[in-house]
Amino acid sequence: MIKEKEHTEPKSEDTNQGPIIEIIDLHKTFGEDNTILKGVNLTVNKGEDLVILGRSGSGKSVTIKCIVGLIEPDQGEIKVFGENILNLSKEELNEMRVKIGFLFQSGALYDSMSVRENLSFTLRAHKRDLSEEEVESEVIEALESVGLGDAIDKMPSELSGGMRKRIGLARTLILKPEIILYDEPTTGLDTITSREISELILDIKNKQKTASIIITHDMACAKMTADRIMVLKDGVIHAEGTYEELEKDEDEWVRSFFE
Amino acid sequence: MILNLKNTFAQIGDVTLFAKRFFKEVFIPPYEAKEFLKQCYIIGYKSLPLVAITGFIMGLVLTLQSRPTLVKFGAESWLPGMVALSLIREIAPVITALICAGKISSGIGAELGSMKVTEQIDAMEVSAINPYNYLVVTRILACTLMVPLLVFFADAVGILGGYVGINIHGDVNFYRFLTQIIQSLGFLDLFPATIKTFFFGFFIGMIGCYKGFNAANGTESVGKAANSAVVTASLTIFIIDMVAVQITDLFF
Amino acid sequence: MEKKSEYTWKLGMFVSIGLLLFIVAIYFIGKQKNLFGSTFHISSQFKTVSGLEVGNNVRFSGINVGTVEEIKLINDSSVVVRLVMKEDVREFIKTDARASIGSDGLMGDKVLTISPGVKSTKIIEDNGQIASVDGIEMQDIMKSVKKSVDNVGVISDELAIFSHSMNNGNGALARLVRDENMANSVSKTLSNLETGTKGFSDNMEAAKSNFLLKGYYKKKAKEKEKKQEEIKEKKEEQKEKEAKEKEAKEKALKEQKEKEEKQKEEAKKAQAEKEKKN
Repeated sequence: MIKEKEHTEPKSEDTNQGPIIEIIDLHKTFGEDNTILKGVNLTVNKGEDLVILGRSGSGKSVTIKCIVGLIEPDQGEIKVFGENILNLSKEELNEMRVKIGFLFQSGALYDSMSVRENLSFTLRAHKRDLSEEEVESEVIEALESVGLGDAIDKMPSELSGGMRKRIGLARTLILKPEIILYDEPTTGLDTITSREISELILDIKNKQKTASIIITHDMACAKMTADRIMVLKDGVIHAEGTYEELEKDEDEWVRSFFE
Repeated sequence: MILNLKNTFAQIGDVTLFAKRFFKEVFIPPYEAKEFLKQCYIIGYKSLPLVAITGFIMGLVLTLQSRPTLVKFGAESWLPGMVALSLIREIAPVITALICAGKISSGIGAELGSMKVTEQIDAMEVSAINPYNYLVVTRILACTLMVPLLVFFADAVGILGGYVGINIHGDVNFYRFLTQIIQSLGFLDLFPATIKTFFFGFFIGMIGCYKGFNAANGTESVGKAANSAVVTASLTIFIIDMVAVQITDLFF
Repeated sequence: MEKKSEYTWKLGMFVSIGLLLFIVAIYFIGKQKNLFGSTFHISSQFKTVSGLEVGNNVRFSGINVGTVEEIKLINDSSVVVRLVMKEDVREFIKTDARASIGSDGLMGDKVLTISPGVKSTKIIEDNGQIASVDGIEMQDIMKSVKKSVDNVGVISDELAIFSHSMNNGNGALARLVRDENMANSVSKTLSNLETGTKGFSDNMEAAKSNFLLKGYYKKKAKEKEKKQEEIKEKKEEQKEKEAKEKEAKEKALKEQKEKEEKQKEEAKKAQAEKEKKN
């Protein structure tokens, strides 16, 4: 029911307000000398889809995990809605996290719970005063927004990879986040399913006016969803621009993505 | 060698912090009552058949094994009391705890380990659900409360096994058998053993959770977490048992 | 939500049965220790409690009716033992009941036994006190056994000397035992004596009827009775001694018999001499 959206080319909406996410000079080293991030700077504006491209191990996932506080950077600032999340207390950070959706690579559905419980558990953790019926209707609404209303009573093990990701997305959406971070949303899926997911991302952006960061190395997905693309190489932003701009880029390393 | 030792101590320190966090978070809402009950069901009820079978066999075998020695001293009538005493004081708690270490500790280790590897724990974290509270506190608490209950069952079934064992060679009326047992039991036999089982339960749950929660990334680490949970929990049970018996011995 | 009720009742059952087992165990152990149900206390004072411990059973007519609750030393030679007992046996325990300490089997625990009194009909009160009978200590038994064994030693030494002189000596008694001629002459002498005494006794009868000598003879008859009684008592004592020493070795028994023989012979001899004198 959502899939018939036209394939909008990257568009530049008016983004006059300040950035929603601002990362300044982010460094992260794992262990003794495994330096992943060497000073990443990026900004995401309201209602903007930012695609981060990069090879495996270039630090894409680490960057967005830093934004939700799963990984603590060694150095730098991460401002979300103008607040540096590194200075927040645990409670404040959790409040912030409710506003940030995060879709994991595998979907990260809770294996021991049915789809319904996956969604209602997340919802209930934050809105304890909702009645059974309200929870149920919100769960159904979230599932239908990803087009999987009939999977409500299934267990995660019965779902295909694409369905898991969509349920994962529904679970993220149920908290009505203002920012959604996608960690490789199309990895491991066939072209058609990838395309469906990309359409879904676009659809969510248009309907819910969320800002997103999408990490991918799938150019089809990037092409469909990106307002702006950043290319991450060796822990720093190597290039930045719209899809069209980067496509014409002379840099060999950037070009390698488009071939 | 020194590095190894350092790592061991680092791990013990880590476990201590992990346990400390439990005592801090167990009092902090939200209380995950539903998950707690579910874990109680899985840990308690689902382990019951295993514990009952082991308990029965221990009671039976213990009776058959002690019988010849007691007969030699003409003290056959002490058999029920002796079997009940050794069951309640030592064998039922330790065997149940070991069974639980094998079943529960490894189960929790594998479950949390795979949740960690498939980013489910991270997913909770980013949806602002405290995974420690939801996953760890409920499991440790359930273990702490359910293992003593399982031990009561093991005691009872073990005594039943002892009755069967005695009736293989002789003919003792069940009522007489129970009277003999109750006569030989005191509160000092029951209480220290019961208190001990709470510690067993706590450590079984805690070690399983710790190993699972701190699993490295990668599928292989799930198996490692489960395996090392069993080994560590079993060893810990024996150490606690030794300490508990010494303390009991000291005071009573 | 249907899934919830599917397991909650099983969990509930599991928990209830588990707790029930624990409570039942506590109840029965407590009952065994008289913790529940109405009880009363009595105490008794002992010189020694022979290793009685708190928690040992108290028996009345062989039935366990209570336990030892407290053992307290009140001075250097007395210990007060406080007992807790079932209320329903109180009516059978009278004020003159006595407590004693014994042991349950060879290796068993000590038990405190209450034996009923004879005269009193007054039921003992709560916190009342009863008299005690000091138990027989193993040490005491050993002491008395040692004493009698020592005595047996002395006796057997003397017997050995005696029988040696009997067999090898040339004394009158030895000859009496060994020499046939001697025995014959003794028996002849005895029969002569008999006839002699008959005449003498006739004379004596005459003398008895003499009023002057009446008082003297009466006195003599009385003394004779007394002597006979004393002999009887002695014999009884000896019998008791025999019973005690039965536990001692066979040898001792044998020697005892010999000793009796000797005594009999001595008595015989004494009689003979007495008659000779007469």
